[in-house]
Amino acid sequence: MKKIFLSLILSLSIGFVATAQRAKSVILIYLDGGPAQTETFDPKPAAGRNYYGNYKGVCKTNVEGIEIGEKLPLLATMADKYTLIRSMSHGSNAHETGHYAMITGDTSGGAVVYPSFGAVISYMKRDTYKGVLPCYISVTSANSRFNEGGFLGNQYKSFDTGGKPESSEYEVEGIVNKFVNKERLNKRMDLLNSFESPLNKKELDSLRATNMEFIWGESREVFNLANEPDSVRKRYGNTRLGQSCLVARRLVEAGVPFVNVRTTGWDTHKKHFQKMNTALPDLDRSVSALLADLDARGLLDSTIVLLGGEFGRTPKVLWEAPWNGGRAHYGKTFSYLVAGGGFVGGKVLGATDKTGEKVIERLVRPCDLIGTVYLLMGIDPFGTLPHVSEGDLPILPSLLEKGKSEGLLYEIIDFKKPSHEK
Amino acid sequence: MKKTLILTLCLLFPAMVAFASDMCRDEVFLRRAYLTVTGALPTPEECVKFLDSKEANKREALIDELLESELALKYMQMRWGDILRIKSEFPSNLWPNGVQAYNRWVYEQLLHNVPYDKMVQQLLLSEGSNFRSPAANFYRGFQKKTPQNFYANINLLFLGNRSCADNGYLCFSQIKFKSTKEWKEEIIYLDFHKEVPWQKISLADGTVLAPKADSDWREAYVAWLTSPKNRRFAEVLVNRMWYWVFGKGIVHEPDDWREENKPSNPQLLNELTDYFLKNNFDMRLLMKKILLSKEFNSKASPEGFYEPQRLPAEVIVDALASTTGIWSTYSSRVPEPFTFYPQKTRATHLGDATVSSSELELFGKVSRDVSLESQRNNAITSRQLLFLMNSSVLERNIRMSPVLQRIYMQCHDVSQLADAITLQVLSRRSTPQEIALYENHMQQNKLSLMELAVDIMWMQLNSNEFLYNH
Repeated sequence: MKKIFLSLILSLSIGFVATAQRAKSVILIYLDGGPAQTETFDPKPAAGRNYYGNYKGVCKTNVEGIEIGEKLPLLATMADKYTLIRSMSHGSNAHETGHYAMITGDTSGGAVVYPSFGAVISYMKRDTYKGVLPCYISVTSANSRFNEGGFLGNQYKSFDTGGKPESSEYEVEGIVNKFVNKERLNKRMDLLNSFESPLNKKELDSLRATNMEFIWGESREVFNLANEPDSVRKRYGNTRLGQSCLVARRLVEAGVPFVNVRTTGWDTHKKHFQKMNTALPDLDRSVSALLADLDARGLLDSTIVLLGGEFGRTPKVLWEAPWNGGRAHYGKTFSYLVAGGGFVGGKVLGATDKTGEKVIERLVRPCDLIGTVYLLMGIDPFGTLPHVSEGDLPILPSLLEKGKSEGLLYEIIDFKKPSHEK
Repeated sequence: MKKTLILTLCLLFPAMVAFASDMCRDEVFLRRAYLTVTGALPTPEECVKFLDSKEANKREALIDELLESELALKYMQMRWGDILRIKSEFPSNLWPNGVQAYNRWVYEQLLHNVPYDKMVQQLLLSEGSNFRSPAANFYRGFQKKTPQNFYANINLLFLGNRSCADNGYLCFSQIKFKSTKEWKEEIIYLDFHKEVPWQKISLADGTVLAPKADSDWREAYVAWLTSPKNRRFAEVLVNRMWYWVFGKGIVHEPDDWREENKPSNPQLLNELTDYFLKNNFDMRLLMKKILLSKEFNSKASPEGFYEPQRLPAEVIVDALASTTGIWSTYSSRVPEPFTFYPQKTRATHLGDATVSSSELELFGKVSRDVSLESQRNNAITSRQLLFLMNSSVLERNIRMSPVLQRIYMQCHDVSQLADAITLQVLSRRSTPQEIALYENHMQQNKLSLMELAVDIMWMQLNSNEFLYNH
């Protein structure tokens, strides 16, 4: 019976998926540690100090009826560009399981480790993506808590740039090495090539030659932020997050299908409000600059932007010692911002109760969001992935299990209207 | 000198006479033996000692010394950890305490050279707490805790069967799990009240097992499995050991024994299995026999007895660390509180697949999600070469290398410098042609001796000779 149901879904989705593709790239801005939904996209000023803490107001946005946190005035001017999901939920309060759920969409707790959705996209695009840059890039490093490649294997994991994009020299691992200029590397290669080796291997020589082209070719210029006018660099803000967002835009412009911008410091058990006072303006400036820039360049229609973390934070402030005004992990309700690439703007999906502790409208599971991203990327969310010993496995097993999915997010994606028709 | 050596080896192995001219040189044997047995490069002192030794049987003496070394035990522990899937998080769920206990258990089996049959018996007949009875982690480590899944994995590990159709799994149907008040502790116990299965338990070879109530049903199966009469059990280990040394099994893949998948050299497999059985499942003796074989002592070539193998991820990362003298620090980020490993911990000694680094991932560290040997991916990729060619991390490590600084302080000319670096990185002395090449490189590019040292180390770390066990 289950099989018949499955094949019905599968047959329905053929053809449909091809026409659903809106996006060419995904930018995931991942707030590692778990950002507070209350101070970002689901403010509850009416709930009082026990819930809303030291913050009092909200920002009214340019869309009637949508309000966001008081420290996000720039994002408030462009709510028509994005949609807020206020009813994300997976119920897990531990970092590792939270990351796993949000990055793989799998909450089945089964016997296999699923790949991150960046790795899945990288795998699915392996034949069609022809760019010189890697298919899946993390600026500056990927999540360190679990094996990102999952059962697909290491080759689909992200390329971590490393380095400091906010510094004057952004050292991209393997590409930009400030100790060695082109001439020196060429001489070293000459030395290596004339080194008598009993193990000469043509395939290695050719990989090295391709690498030399890669190091000195266009990829180097993509990472070179000096190519951007000062005004643009300033608009993104001279912070790790700001300049990473700028790198992400340049990568998407160069055709890279998946860019992960990971920022840390969101695990605010203590001094939550003090930390938010500096983190939120940085977030506000970086993300608003990215959305505006993508939009101005006509890239937003083909680029999905996702913003969120592994879970949210307790809506109730922990005023007691030792937290003295902190928020703990909270997987029952949290928010995500989604924009571009087929996601409509100016909407809110789902709602939480007065204090923000419960979802009261349109629950969204991680697999629902990730499945929708797959769909918009032209990947069948009901398709399969090959496992080395288990055969073909569903790309998102939770999507097929009752109680683990609330359905793809058709409410906030646009199908009928091709993206180039305004 | 060389002649006596070859003669000795020929006496040891009559069959080798014909191949004496294809024997690998001492420096090649040295590096190969260290990398194969310990997963580590020899130190320059160890190189010099072996290369300058005039002992007739120095190869065998080196093998004996290496096989009993701490490094060898730990490296063998890593190989077992890979197939027993020792890791603290998904999908094996051993938890750090369990991982520690399990690793210690494996280590002690190897230290005391416990016979293979005894080791497997302890694993399969284990019960008790996953923290206190280490071998019980064998069962605890499975996410899918069904008799069928236990049985499928036992078949894979000890018989090389990827699929099994018989109902031997019934022998594992008494296994139960009970949690305790300690976080993540579980007691693995047997339910003797379970009804005796009405079906006959008949194994693939026709053996019928008849378990009795009030007894551990696993015993009958394990007695059958580990008996010397069950030749396949011994063959699979012999073949796996061969695979661990050569990167290719006599039956290949080493965990895919099927009628259609024939051994490439049945006679060799037979001889080694006889030897292994005659010596009561002694794994160390078996390893020694393989290391003394003509195959292991042959020159490397893609068509010959010894095919060059890219070094495993952990070995490359450790070799980069030992040659530069700058070691990575490792920590376990799952679960909290984090565990920090001592300084200079070797990647081969981590013991937990959850603990990793970007370099280990880059070179294909095993995730230990399945018990297949093929999960280790030693393919060379352009990204790995990119890291070696132009990574600022590696460049800094070379420039700040305390090893290179020391070499530079002690050497006065290109020839001394070249010898010292080559011993460190490639475990041999440099040739006159190489020294000429370095001198030329230095003059052409007007490099200081220190800058030349940096370039030589960079070049050797990028060479195929470094990347491969050859």
